[in-house]
Amino acid sequence: MAVVKADRLCKEYKGHADLAVKDVSFTVADGEFMVLLGPSGCGKTSILRMIAGLEPITSGDLLLNGKRINDVPAKDRDIAMVFQSYALYPHMDVYSNLAFGLRRRGFPPAEIDRRVTATAAKLAMVPYLKRKPMALSGGQRQRVALGRAIVREPQVFLFDEPLSNLDAAARFTTRNELIKQQKELGTTTIYVTHDQVEAMTMGHRICILNHGELVQIGRPLEVYQSPADTFVARFLGNPQMNMLKGTVALNDGGAFLHVAGSSIELAAQALPELRKYAGSAVIVGVRPEDLYEHEPAALLERLVRIPARVIAVEPLGAETLLMLALPDSKEEIIARVGRQTGVRSGDTTTVALDTAALHLFDPATKVAIPYFRR
Amino acid sequence: MGNALIPVKKTLLLLLVVVCSITTGGPFLWVAALSLRTTPEILDHPYRFPLHPHFEKFVSAWTHSNYGLYFWNSTLVVVTAVVIVTLLGAMAAHGLVRYPFRGNRGVRFLILSGMMLPPQMLILSLFQIMFNMGLYNTLGGLVLVYVATQLPMTIYILESFFAHIPQDLFDAAKLDGYADFEIFWRIALPIGTPAVFTTGLLNFIMLWNEFLYAVVLLTDNSKRTLPLGIMFFMGGHQIDVGMVATGLIIAILPVLLLYTCFSETMIKGMTAGAVR
Repeated sequence: MAVVKADRLCKEYKGHADLAVKDVSFTVADGEFMVLLGPSGCGKTSILRMIAGLEPITSGDLLLNGKRINDVPAKDRDIAMVFQSYALYPHMDVYSNLAFGLRRRGFPPAEIDRRVTATAAKLAMVPYLKRKPMALSGGQRQRVALGRAIVREPQVFLFDEPLSNLDAAARFTTRNELIKQQKELGTTTIYVTHDQVEAMTMGHRICILNHGELVQIGRPLEVYQSPADTFVARFLGNPQMNMLKGTVALNDGGAFLHVAGSSIELAAQALPELRKYAGSAVIVGVRPEDLYEHEPAALLERLVRIPARVIAVEPLGAETLLMLALPDSKEEIIARVGRQTGVRSGDTTTVALDTAALHLFDPATKVAIPYFRR
Repeated sequence: MGNALIPVKKTLLLLLVVVCSITTGGPFLWVAALSLRTTPEILDHPYRFPLHPHFEKFVSAWTHSNYGLYFWNSTLVVVTAVVIVTLLGAMAAHGLVRYPFRGNRGVRFLILSGMMLPPQMLILSLFQIMFNMGLYNTLGGLVLVYVATQLPMTIYILESFFAHIPQDLFDAAKLDGYADFEIFWRIALPIGTPAVFTTGLLNFIMLWNEFLYAVVLLTDNSKRTLPLGIMFFMGGHQIDVGMVATGLIIAILPVLLLYTCFSETMIKGMTAGAVR
């Protein structure tokens, strides 16, 4: 049972004018898998190190099960961390690496042996117990690092980009291994990454950070489908969300959004929010998968066709990316279409835009505006 | 064009190696030859090969001139000093690298400035201090002086090695529940073994051959170290060249042995970074 609560956490590094972490607050529930996601330098690792006790907290409170632990030394926090570099002790074999923390905590040798063996068995590392880290592959080292965290049965697991040194195949298997272990153990977990695939597939919730500030927190699909601002909208999703210029027009007939040469009628409930944008520009976000080469029958009434010129075709095997130029606005967008596409670079074509899947953002603040299509 | 230059480059390099080997190895081989010849033989033909080697000179040097005692004194002083300087140096290097404190740079500068001063400059004041503290003419005093003189170099070498040990290892040990000194003892020191061993070996070689401090700070015959013992083969009016050479070879033997066994480890320790 462990609940971690960060309350207005701030971190300032000497010699830096800006705060590395600014007033970040969130709560990680017992057994929850929380992912801190953001680009490099966004403060996610600083937050993790403050939770671990490896960095002093400049201001704010950190609570573990309701108890303030700002001043509790790292060694007394009962928190285990898996590092990006694995941080395995190079002069010790796998067994000693796993047993190192238990020895310090005064466990009897028989109990240490039982726990180390059980953990090694869980991670399929028994044949390697007598090996030094140098003699292990990247994936095996990662498993030892995970084992060192598991074997202590701590209250909280912290992961600092643990998969970033692995190749694609090892990353996939280790990711699933981590998910499985966390599910089995039910230990509260905070996981730092800049990789959106890891964030989307592993986390119960994602906490997105930018420039030291918390931008949005929520379940992966929730955040993907309703990004709080243009940063989140672009950061999640590959290729990035397309951003187009649009205008809002209000007249007697209702409210209309003009984008990419088309006019989309908006629902009445959107009016209160949209009134202030009447006659002015907004940013319209469209995900590449919401553009269709062939209109799906089920979505027909939601689609509008927009003319486009194909600049480039990128066949990725399972799908194809089309780079398109919109003739009216000279804007460029990316559409994700099926692998069987017949279009070629230089062709003029039309793509269908799902008007129910648009996102609106304020051009000044970049914050999302509620969007309701009629 | 580039390929044509390779043989020329190789020949020049080889020539350089040969010249270096002759200038450093030549005198040593000459002393080794002298050590097996008697003084009259040497005076007749200084550069002759020892056709009839006098191995009994080694026994005579050891038994007739207190060599056993000098050897023991040297071993006691040098080993004690090396152990202390290595441990102190490792702790200081770890501290300077891992705990950035106010005045860190100043402390580092003060320590390293010790390397810049030639021993001749310090010897008078050192003599006075040792005399006032009652450490003059004691082996303990010499140990202290040796520790102080070798500490800067030891810290300098170990600091650059320790700086390459990833911080994550220390953080991991902290989360495993270890306190600062335990982390030094169980993580930094074992990982730094190649560098620690190398500095120990370097210090041993330098101190084993040290003459200046020993000759100034020790006067009692029973406390003399090996380099001083060799001096005793030199009389007031004439020098027993043959016995000086034999004494030198006996004195060099431990260093030679250490170097032969561990030269590779030493080079590795000087050049390798920390294990990731």
